[in-house]
Amino acid sequence: MAKHIAVIHGPNLNLLGKREVGIYGGKSMEGINSDIEAEARKLNVTVEFYQSNGEGELVTFIQQCRGRADGILLNAGAYTHYSVALRDAISAAQVPTVEAHISNIYKREAFRHTSVIAPVCIGQICGFGPYSYILGLRALIEDRLDPWLP
Amino acid sequence: MKKRSFLVISGPNLNLLGTRKTSIYGEGSLEDIHRGLEQRAEELKVGVQCRQFNSEGAIIDCLQEAPGSFDGVIINAGALAHYSYALRSAIGAMLLPCVEVFISNVYAREEFRHKSVIAPVCVGVIGGFGKKSYLLALEALANLTEV
Repeated sequence: MAKHIAVIHGPNLNLLGKREVGIYGGKSMEGINSDIEAEARKLNVTVEFYQSNGEGELVTFIQQCRGRADGILLNAGAYTHYSVALRDAISAAQVPTVEAHISNIYKREAFRHTSVIAPVCIGQICGFGPYSYILGLRALIEDRLDPWLP
Repeated sequence: MKKRSFLVISGPNLNLLGTRKTSIYGEGSLEDIHRGLEQRAEELKVGVQCRQFNSEGAIIDCLQEAPGSFDGVIINAGALAHYSYALRSAIGAMLLPCVEVFISNVYAREEFRHKSVIAPVCVGVIGGFGKKSYLLALEALANLTEV
């Protein structure tokens, strides 16, 4: 059966393409989602998308991924840097999660250099614009990427 | 159009991959990684040259010589990532896009590994996906310089 991946966007990512385009680029969230969908088709997996500005809503959605999704691709936006609740939800969901960021968070303000969710994710990809999501999806699902697998 | 070519540098102790702490770094050797990169480079129609150095100075020499021969750099600086300001300056000076990779998820490890002094001068960071991190970085660079 095809793997199913939940793609989750956190606060203010609904404004992509409209705010601070110098940092986040001109592409809208819908545009990014259709690129992810095209890549998912190529890789023969299914994807669903969720965006919320609310921390609690994100926590609830991540909890509900348990047993339902094979992977989570998460850009938690600013919550990345302080939401211990989101971190606990990721741990509890027991779904392999990849953390993605559009910008290189290490080039920015010091408060963005710490991710409280990173320790409970498989890994982190940041700095490649919307392509960070594509790389994150491939990291989650493409076994072919790992020539060391039997 | 000239074929784009990328330099892949692995830092100290990465020559020991497959022989030490395999629970963290996995079973495959660095040669396996290099073979995987060469195979993927062929698919992406780009060139790749892979080097490994234990010496900080040798990495800096190599980075200084990279412009002119390469279109981008992938670096796994190993432990140097966390403290080598000389490496940071060399990456900043070469003016080529550089992607930082880690095999392990450094944020799930000791606190001194949580900070990379080279990350701010790199385009981006990819870490935690085992040896796949290198392949994803190659794809990232290939996509980056395509546009």
